Amino acid sequence: MKIVEQLSIDEEDETLSLCSMFAGQDSYGIATGKIREVLGMRELERVPMAPAFVAGVVPYRGDVITTVSFRAILGLPECAETGCVLVLDDNDGQERFGLMVDSVGGVVTVSKKMLEDNPCTLEARGRWLFDGAYKMSGGLMIQLDPQKLRPSRLSESGLFSQITVGGAS
Amino acid sequence: MDDLTKEFIAESQEGLDRMERCLTELEVRPQDSAELVGDIFRTVHTIKGTTGFLGFSRLEKLAHAGEHLLGSLREGKLSVTEDLISGLLQLLDGLRAILQLIEESGTEGTRASDDDSELIAHLAELNSEDPLHTDAPASVQPVAKNIQANAAVPSTSSVNNNDKTLRIDVDVLNRMMNLVGELVLTRNQMLQGGVESTANFAELARRLDSVTADLRETVMQARMQPVGNLFGKFPRMVRDLARTCGREVRIEFFGQETGLDKSLLEAIKDPLTHAVRNSVDHGIEPAADRILAGKSAEGCLTLRAFHQGGSVVIEVCDDGGGISMEKVRAKAVERGLVSPEDASQMSEREALQLIFLPGFSTASAVTTVSGRGVGMDVVRANIEKVGGSVELESKLGVGTTLRLRVPLTLAIVPALVVRSGGQSFALPQTTLVELVYIPSRDAAHAVEHIGGAEVFRLRERLLPIVCLDRLLGLKNATDRHGFYLAVLEAEGCRYGLVVDDLLAPEEIVVKPLSSVLRDIGLFSGATVLGNGTLALILDIAATAARAGVKPVIDDEMDDAVTDQTMRDDHQSFLVFEDKARERTALPLGLVERIESVPLSQVEYANGRALLQYRGELLPLRDEGHVIDELYAESDNMDAAATILICGEPGAKNARRLGVVVRRVLDVSDGALLNDSSVIEDAELALVKNRLTTVFRGFDIKPDWKEVA
Repeated sequence: MKIVEQLSIDEEDETLSLCSMFAGQDSYGIATGKIREVLGMRELERVPMAPAFVAGVVPYRGDVITTVSFRAILGLPECAETGCVLVLDDNDGQERFGLMVDSVGGVVTVSKKMLEDNPCTLEARGRWLFDGAYKMSGGLMIQLDPQKLRPSRLSESGLFSQITVGGAS
Repeated sequence: MDDLTKEFIAESQEGLDRMERCLTELEVRPQDSAELVGDIFRTVHTIKGTTGFLGFSRLEKLAHAGEHLLGSLREGKLSVTEDLISGLLQLLDGLRAILQLIEESGTEGTRASDDDSELIAHLAELNSEDPLHTDAPASVQPVAKNIQANAAVPSTSSVNNNDKTLRIDVDVLNRMMNLVGELVLTRNQMLQGGVESTANFAELARRLDSVTADLRETVMQARMQPVGNLFGKFPRMVRDLARTCGREVRIEFFGQETGLDKSLLEAIKDPLTHAVRNSVDHGIEPAADRILAGKSAEGCLTLRAFHQGGSVVIEVCDDGGGISMEKVRAKAVERGLVSPEDASQMSEREALQLIFLPGFSTASAVTTVSGRGVGMDVVRANIEKVGGSVELESKLGVGTTLRLRVPLTLAIVPALVVRSGGQSFALPQTTLVELVYIPSRDAAHAVEHIGGAEVFRLRERLLPIVCLDRLLGLKNATDRHGFYLAVLEAEGCRYGLVVDDLLAPEEIVVKPLSSVLRDIGLFSGATVLGNGTLALILDIAATAARAGVKPVIDDEMDDAVTDQTMRDDHQSFLVFEDKARERTALPLGLVERIESVPLSQVEYANGRALLQYRGELLPLRDEGHVIDELYAESDNMDAAATILICGEPGAKNARRLGVVVRRVLDVSDGALLNDSSVIEDAELALVKNRLTTVFRGFDIKPDWKEVA
């Protein structure tokens, strides 16, 4: 038991594999362990009267899962094309949900040392969403915490219920 | 909590449930005491033995005291008295409370309030009592009160426990495993065959279809629980209630083995508990009154469960005083629910419907048990939420029957898929009353306005209408080729929902939504349609509430009758063609729906054509031999016959009938010809100045014939 823990800590100390994804101009990363499946480009069924951050619902393995529009959370105007949907799992599998981004890159291995905390000038919404950034050679990759992206957490936080999205009808 | 403790709690609670049943039975049949006491003793003994082993000393102490008392009872030192049973029930509640505490916190509690010494002392007192000594000791009262206050606690704990675990027959599980194996094999074949082996594909698809169907059925079966599980809680409840209300009540069960989906069983639990409580408190009279009325002193409460046409019916039946219509009317007026004039004009049936209005209670005195006006409306709302319905029958002085009708399963419901604002929505068939198509040329004047509200004239009644796209803030479809009006009814609200288009009726599999989307409050779930797209399931009652539709008292039946009697010379007809070259008409009020049915669904028994329609067997009348002609015309079974589903409006249990017609022509007003001497045995009418025969197949309904 103890040995395993030791190992995982060691591993975590050095490198971490992230799945990179893009929304707007920036690139973001989520730990691969938290991602259940990348569904690819999907047409979503919209839910009328839903909070603005909900992109719609999508069928996944016999369940209907709520999908969060990452563009909407960031306050970016909605893309005309359909986005790429990722299925994220909660730690205990209680709430499975989807995340819609513009596109998904690939798996990137990063060193923990490259992570830097959020700048103190970041506004409240950004502070809630972002979990520091990795200084990559091609630019910054912002780390996301899937826990914070859960639809129920987003609505609880109260930060995203009033956001206005450019393309929304 | 470790597995051992969890297992112990589950087992003990099951044992306590059994003990509860045995105790109530013991009180009724003290002559069979040996066997019952043995059973109870074993339960308590098991708990005591295991707790000692697990180190729950408080539980052990209490169980030990109980065991001691039961030991004396078993040896015949004590006789079964009401006090003794009460004491043992207190012991049961005490044990349950500790078990619940362990389940919640992992410990058995060390606070001052968690002291059982009073109860233990009480049990010891009962033990030392002289068997012939029947006077209740003074100290019993406070303890009894104490326990009464906690009476609500054990019921919740057992719910929690039931939610998590389910007992399944190993055979069912094995069958499931076999089917899953079959599923995997079929998948393998499909994968290995690849795209090129299309010849085999049809067969594989068929196999997949049958395996899926079997698997679905087996899983359903596994979810089925006997209703008896739910009934088992009632003897104790009725006993306690009867004592608080000062009644003598016997409870009887029928059809305990009737299976019902587990989630439904949970859903009807509260409404049923409420109904039973009502029956004991309001229904059954005090013993003295009963004797005066010439009935036995002991009232009888019957719970009956049975299958009826694709749904499960649960009846709560008492032989009490029944519901006084006068009282109901007076109370409704007093509470301001109806005006005195309206009340005096109501039929008995309508007056009974008043009971389902929010804020209604007939109990003359508010008791702790019931009578606070939260009642039947909640029962009805809860039952309708799961797609069921509630009926009430009552005869003054004879008794009341409450009938809860619930579908077999929640997971799969028949629904109509509609489109609005470019999205698909599913409407549960149970709420759908009828569909009206309004072509674009009529669209402009079909909808009338009263202030800001829109109404539609449906058979000379104003129906509030709700535009789904506007309510949901969806884009309005610009090119309107007319629209459809779905007349819906839920929780007493009736309204027309405007939708752009109708898609196929489908059996949909209900998938729950995440909490964020549930909070919108308009959708009860989502489903994947046959074409792979998603549709949201509209919550009809919530939609009504959102749009501001208020419940109305259903006086449709009365209306239909007055319609026919007052305007018998002039009424609306549905005109159709059944025999060649002949126009036939039916009063519109009798036609429930017009269905297009594939010929393959028309079945024959004893030479008569029958149709299985929504779990009912409808006899078909085919006077024009339309079906035969259709068969002659086409070899395949795909041809569809148009069938009018006719029934007596208002009366739900009346027999219905299907009329096969060539085609439906029109709906228009017409006058009956009184001079029908031209042709014998036929009623004629002038509809739009054309001679039309009035359909006479409805001789099952004599008063209609008279009118027509």
